[in-house]
Amino acid sequence: MTSAPAPTGVSPMLSRLAAEQATGALIREHGTLYLEDGHIVHAESPATPGIDVLLTAGGAVQAEGWWEAVDQAGARQRVGRYLVERGRLTDGALELCHLGALFDAAYFTLAPTSGPTRFRYGVSHWFGTVRPVPVAAVERETLRRRELLQRIWPEPDTDTASLTLGPDPDRPVPARRRRVLDLVDGARTASQIATALGRPAFHTLVDLRRLAAGGLVAAVPPPPAATTPVPEWVAHSSVEDPDVALLRRLRAALEAL
Amino acid sequence: MPGIDECLLEVMRLPGARGAAVVDWTSGLALGTVGESPNGDHEATAAEAAELARLAAEHRAFAPADGSDWTEGSAGDKAPPVEDVMVTNRDGYHVLRFVRTSFDSSVFLYLWLDRGEGNLALARLRLSDLADRLILG
Repeated sequence: MTSAPAPTGVSPMLSRLAAEQATGALIREHGTLYLEDGHIVHAESPATPGIDVLLTAGGAVQAEGWWEAVDQAGARQRVGRYLVERGRLTDGALELCHLGALFDAAYFTLAPTSGPTRFRYGVSHWFGTVRPVPVAAVERETLRRRELLQRIWPEPDTDTASLTLGPDPDRPVPARRRRVLDLVDGARTASQIATALGRPAFHTLVDLRRLAAGGLVAAVPPPPAATTPVPEWVAHSSVEDPDVALLRRLRAALEAL
Repeated sequence: MPGIDECLLEVMRLPGARGAAVVDWTSGLALGTVGESPNGDHEATAAEAAELARLAAEHRAFAPADGSDWTEGSAGDKAPPVEDVMVTNRDGYHVLRFVRTSFDSSVFLYLWLDRGEGNLALARLRLSDLADRLILG
C-alpha cells in the first residue's frame, strides 16, 4: 500500500477518523467499517458474504471448526488467530480471505448514500484483527472499483436487481463466470449469487457486468408502478418492440468512441 | 509458512528480484507488495498484471488440452487452468504464478526480476513452491 494522498469524496467522516487514529465502528446505510488506531481492520455489509461464508462454503474450514472457533475465541475477539493456532488455516490463507472480505464489504459500505452515518467509539469486532489496512488505501481501491465496473459495462442495474438470462445464454463463457450464470434464475440478485458461491460480491458484480455486456444476463425490470392503460394508437403501432439491451450496448459503444 | 509479508520477503531472496506482490486478478487489488514496481506505483502495476492474468485464466486457448478448465482438488479447491504467465523484455522478466486456495479466490503472485541477474527457471520453481506454502503451510 503506497502513501498516495487519500481521494476526497468517499467519506469525509472516515478521513477524519483516520486522522485522529480512532478506534470503533463506522456504521453507514450499506455496512459497517471497524477501525483500530485509524486503520480499517474489518468490514461487514449485508450485500456481501461474510468471512464465515467465504471460509466454509468451499470447505476451507468445516462448519464445526468454525463454530468451535467462535465459541472458544469470539469473546476474546481472536477467532481468526484461533483458526490459525488450531491448524485450520495458514496465516497466508487467513490474510488472503480476510482482506478479500474486508475490501469487498468496504466497497458496498462506502457506496454513495444519503442515509445516516454514525461512529461508535471503542467498538471492535469479534473476529479479531488480521491485517490492518490504511483508510486511504481502502478509499482509493473503492474508487478504482467503481471505475472498473463502469469501464466493463456502464449500466449498474445488474448490481442490485433480480437477474434473468439474456437471449443467448449458451454462448461459451469462462468456467468461473459460468458458475455465476448457472445461478441466474429470474429471482436471485448478485448478492445472493455471491453468497451461494462463497465468493466476494464485488467479484460477482464484475462477472455480471461482463455477462450483461455480452447480452447473456439482464436485470429483471421492476414491476410497473401504475397501470395506466396504453393508448389505442400505441397498442396498434407498427413499430417493432425495441431491443433495450441492444440499444444500451449501442449507446455504450458510441460513448466509447 | 507465515503470512503474505513473509511470503513476499522469501520471493525477494531470489537473485535479481526487484519487486513482488500478491494480487487479486478479478478486482486488480494488490493484497501485499514489496520492493520496487516497474511503473513506480504498486497499485497500478497490480491492476495491469491482473488484466494479463485474467486473460490467461479465462481464454480457452491457454487451458489444458483435455478440456478441463478449473479442476477441483481433493479439498474442494479450484486449480486455475494456467499455472504461470511469463513476460520477458530487454531488461527484465515478469513472472505471474496462480495461487490455488481452499476458498474461492482469484489470486496470483507477481515477481519482477532484473534480466541480467534473474534466473527464470529458478524463479518459476520457487514461486510455485511459495504459492503452495502460502496456503498449505
